[in-house]
Amino acid sequence: MKKMPALLAAVAALGLAGAAFAEPATYTLEPNHTFVTFEIGHFNTSTNRGRFDKKEGTVTIDRAAKTGKLDVTLDTTSLNTGVAQFTKHLNSDEILDTAKFPTAEFHGDKFTFSGDKVTEIAGNLTLHGKTNPVTLKAVNFNCYNSPLLKKEVCGGDFETTIQRGQYGVNYGANYGFPDNVHLIIQVEAIKQ
Amino acid sequence: MKRSSSKTGSVAHALACATLSTSAGLAGAQPQAAASSASAAAGGPVVYRLDPDHTFVTFEVRHFGTSTLRGRIGPVPGEVQIDRVARSGDLRLRIPVGTVDTGMRVLDARLKEPDLLSVAANPEAYFIATNFRFDAQGNVQEARGEFILRGVSEPLSLIARRFGCRIDERLRREVCGGDFEGDLKRGRFGASYGEPFVSDDVHLVVQVEGIAR
Repeated sequence: MKKMPALLAAVAALGLAGAAFAEPATYTLEPNHTFVTFEIGHFNTSTNRGRFDKKEGTVTIDRAAKTGKLDVTLDTTSLNTGVAQFTKHLNSDEILDTAKFPTAEFHGDKFTFSGDKVTEIAGNLTLHGKTNPVTLKAVNFNCYNSPLLKKEVCGGDFETTIQRGQYGVNYGANYGFPDNVHLIIQVEAIKQ
Repeated sequence: MKRSSSKTGSVAHALACATLSTSAGLAGAQPQAAASSASAAAGGPVVYRLDPDHTFVTFEVRHFGTSTLRGRIGPVPGEVQIDRVARSGDLRLRIPVGTVDTGMRVLDARLKEPDLLSVAANPEAYFIATNFRFDAQGNVQEARGEFILRGVSEPLSLIARRFGCRIDERLRREVCGGDFEGDLKRGRFGASYGEPFVSDDVHLVVQVEGIAR
């Protein structure tokens, strides 16, 4: 009989630990380390890049259940290419028409894991008023305890390629500007 | 050239390094120059002015072993001389490091401080390369030279991931360019603030296009 409480305590402890681990954790995107960069080929010569500077969102991850949910909103007017004329043209109604479509959204609800690490997030991207399925593939994924924030931070690098024509963004397609746009996503999110 | 990590942090030192490297590079390039004049009828050296709309350096560092932090520097002005027949090249770039743009103003300001890019003392970095490698079609595959940051010089190789030339219909001139990548260790230039939380390894991704003069 003496052993029972100890065993119960052990089971309870395991149970508690398990419960703590299984509990879904919510993370808020850390805007200083979350950026979406696009890459598009320029006349088969070099690659043009641009970055969206304003964004917000949350991620929920349940590592035990291997599920998650990601909701991100990008301010499309915060596009920054380093070339004022190019940025202006991208904002115009010929391309992203950011006056009419000031945000882009990604909602991911199918998370794939390898062990504790997220390897893929599948969901829907809404851009230029059109929605298509997109899968973000992790190049890096890691969690760490931030010495500054004193909180857990998870994040990594994700990539995907979209076809801009599927979003009704066809400018220059007839003079050879590529349909494929490569997206490179840096993301870090702070545990709440 | 002194490749020490001694920080003089002066523009004079950087320029002295640049001059030394250039003269050494020119001496090494003499046989190629002779070959280029022999084949001048077929090709000959062409000077390309870098296109400010399509010439940027992006650096990448790893943040807490987790995500990749990027910053953009540029546009990079200057000229590149290439002889695609003689397979030689010459570039001397002045890189305006104060243009650094990460999308975070606080980080941009921090990067300009004396222990990182040291912009006040060293407003420009330099890349001087006279050692070019070409493929069979005369496309640049690699440019090897010296990178001078914060007045400290270290060898740097930029490898072409993509290179091509075209006749630009609007400009009615030949445009050559591509995407190049290189790697350096920032600590060797004395810019090790934030290590190891932010990596010593810096990956460079360079977009470049040049318009034939």
